[in-house]
Amino acid sequence: MTDLDDISHELGISPAWREEFGSCWLAAPGLDPRALAHAMLARRARFVTITAIEQPNAELRLDYHWDLDGPLLTFTLATESHQIPSITELCPGADWVEREIRDYFAVVFLGRDLEPLMLCADDKPGIHLRNGRSQ
Amino acid sequence: MSYRLPIGPYHPALEEPYKLELHCEGETVLSADLHVGFNFRSIERLAERRNYLQVIPLVERICGICSNVHTLSFCQAVERLAAIDPPERALFIRVIIAELERLHSHLLWAGIAAKLMGFKTVFMGCFDIRERVMDALEAVSGNRVNYAMNCIGGVNRDVKDPGSLLAAVEAIERGVTRTIIPIFTTDRTVQSRCAGVGVLTFEQATQHGVVGPTARASGIAQDIRSAAPYAAYGRLQFDVPVETAGDVRARVVVRALEILESSRILRQALKQLPAGPLRGRAFVEVPAGTAISRIEGPRGEVFYSATSDGSDIPSRVRVRTPTFANMPAVRLMLVNAELSDAPLIQASIDPCYSCTDR
Repeated sequence: MTDLDDISHELGISPAWREEFGSCWLAAPGLDPRALAHAMLARRARFVTITAIEQPNAELRLDYHWDLDGPLLTFTLATESHQIPSITELCPGADWVEREIRDYFAVVFLGRDLEPLMLCADDKPGIHLRNGRSQ
Repeated sequence: MSYRLPIGPYHPALEEPYKLELHCEGETVLSADLHVGFNFRSIERLAERRNYLQVIPLVERICGICSNVHTLSFCQAVERLAAIDPPERALFIRVIIAELERLHSHLLWAGIAAKLMGFKTVFMGCFDIRERVMDALEAVSGNRVNYAMNCIGGVNRDVKDPGSLLAAVEAIERGVTRTIIPIFTTDRTVQSRCAGVGVLTFEQATQHGVVGPTARASGIAQDIRSAAPYAAYGRLQFDVPVETAGDVRARVVVRALEILESSRILRQALKQLPAGPLRGRAFVEVPAGTAISRIEGPRGEVFYSATSDGSDIPSRVRVRTPTFANMPAVRLMLVNAELSDAPLIQASIDPCYSCTDR
């Protein structure tokens, strides 16, 4: 757990880690995912994926999952006005993940081009999973 | 002369739709673009419209090859949310089915790879052995594709005759050891078609977060079965084959050796199969929260996140399949490759577009 505390200290996050339901969780809604990526890549962690979950206020909760050579760490971030910085430049493995979330939920990942991955021609982002977008 | 060669989305070789655009100079591939999404079925959205029990057969149909990994991942996530511990016998049966699935998936891939190498005799040999694995799966589950073995809290069917299954596994292992392993590890045709072809370096594999045999062929020694054990894997002995060359040959060798490790796991699981019930306590409700489940599927790490709002319908089910993680790296493998090697290189990650698109 010492390493986990080092991570939260480096990121300037005070809440404690929760270890439950298959992962270690850290709530960090205002955290810049690029700072997170820097910290995790420095520890040779593997980027796993991002889970987007729509919230009642129409913003998105984004769970960033990193594998620390076995233990799974999940950082719970949030979009602001449906936007969040991209980590693809730091972590190429995030490319398709960010494009898919943009297609499904109309999240804008700042600092990169977002070519559609799953959408058909003329489909609007968010049509598949965003509530209220399918009509 | 440079030119662009579009292939797909419908392919004569791999019966799944995706599009590959190769930018070539003469016979050399300069770069490649990939286009997916042709098999999109909105599985994640559909999962938010069904109750937990109905989601199980839904996710089982994500893939026709590794259907079991999807139900196992989803059931594990829900069990964590609902604090249900499956009984020991169920955990061992989950391992048995998962390893039989890995065997048939790896043998299917080996057959297709052999065909793409122009080695059709080996294709026939692989499919002959694979058929015995399919028979074993059918004997246990009654099904050859969607086994319907997993339920929340355990398994739906028992392994009633572990002795005959053990004999079948030993026969499969003998067949693989006598024919498949020697051919894939020493045959000159295989070497000439695979060695030094479609290289993915350790650094590239790390940056792109590739998983499973593709990662292990590039020197990344991770397998979720040992790194984060689930089911009964923590009680079984097995090795994780790793190669460092990162080429098609390394992917061939890793999968070939994994077939032997799967057989080793199956032998232990069948001999140690404990007595007891097949299911844990009754599944009543799923408290609010998000749980994650990861398992090592035949193609690599399968990731599920299931979110509950306390109702009987999941509010979010997220699925990240191994091909989704591995496929972008094919672009790197294809750079400076011979055009004639492109089919084998893209097939060397054992891609599944049904899984990728969901």
